[in-house]
Amino acid sequence: MIIYLAIFLGCIIGAILGVNAPVISYTYSSYLSIAIIAALDTVFGGIASVVKKNFDLKIFLSGFFGNSILAIALTYLGNKLNVDIYLAAIIVFVGRMFNNLGIIRRYYIDRCVNIIESRKNKKQENK
Amino acid sequence: MLKQGKINIAIILGIMCLFLTFGIFLQIKTVKNSTTGVGKTQIENELRDNVLRWKEKYDNLYSKSEKKEKELENLRQEASNSDETSKNLSSELEKYNSLLGLTDVEGPGIIVTLNDGDSSIMKGSATNYIVHDGDLLEIVNELKNAGAEAISINGQRIISRTGIECVGNVITVNGEKVGAPFVIKSIGLTSKLYGAIARPMGYAELLENYGVQVKIEQVDKNTIKIPKYEGIYKFDFASNIE
Repeated sequence: MIIYLAIFLGCIIGAILGVNAPVISYTYSSYLSIAIIAALDTVFGGIASVVKKNFDLKIFLSGFFGNSILAIALTYLGNKLNVDIYLAAIIVFVGRMFNNLGIIRRYYIDRCVNIIESRKNKKQENK
Repeated sequence: MLKQGKINIAIILGIMCLFLTFGIFLQIKTVKNSTTGVGKTQIENELRDNVLRWKEKYDNLYSKSEKKEKELENLRQEASNSDETSKNLSSELEKYNSLLGLTDVEGPGIIVTLNDGDSSIMKGSATNYIVHDGDLLEIVNELKNAGAEAISINGQRIISRTGIECVGNVITVNGEKVGAPFVIKSIGLTSKLYGAIARPMGYAELLENYGVQVKIEQVDKNTIKIPKYEGIYKFDFASNIE
């Protein structure tokens, strides 16, 4: 639970900071956008790994920075070569996001089903 | 039952989310500021992208050049402080620069504002009641005849080599686009300038009859500010005859 609380708090503080921050120049906004997608993917990955109980801080942090930097570098390269490489990065990231979301979803559905079944069992025992 | 590990994970995830939403909001703001709407086609979007990039580059370079100009001015002043002859030279330089329109100037004069007629009221062809390049030329000409010392149209200084040109549906002055309403500022003897523009059967009256909105404002105090010419004077072909 505390994890979701932390995420919620982080989102609110980030939003307040973001609203008050100065506008960056338009040239870099395409790099920022790809970095955002990478970070979003990492956060979903982090939640999924927490759910799977194999969260590793080192892997998480290196994934966050590594993915963002690689995505930005690819975008830059794509700009220079006139190939929309960033599309590939977006597809990979979004695909993984759906995967991770699926894992999270399954975990919570399983838990709900378990709770409901245990209640049923209790009722039957009481009868 | 909070384990230390879980708290750590929560803190890290919270910080990540902070970065994430920070980035997202920054991006939203940037996109909102720089685009007026999503274009219909990919090409349109790309073109807009390019325009914005170039504009940014231009702005950066322009601010740089302004900085350098200030430095140059400072150096000039330092150099001219040292002895009498260069002091004279620098005052002469200033005089010629202001004659050429390379300095910001202020003074009394008139402000003529031309605006396209309201298309919802006006009848007939739109050509009659919109402001054309020729109209601007006529007004500028009248002002010059009346002895205006400095003229600008929408912030573009009129110098000896200024061209006023119709390019499709916009007008360019000094190669820069200007659009309605056209604010023509001029510095000179106020009454003379006003007389030249507002006289009966003058060009302003003619325009008004056609349906163009004309506003003439007299400013007697030194409150009209006219910016300097921002281009470069080049003299590649003409040489002096000794």
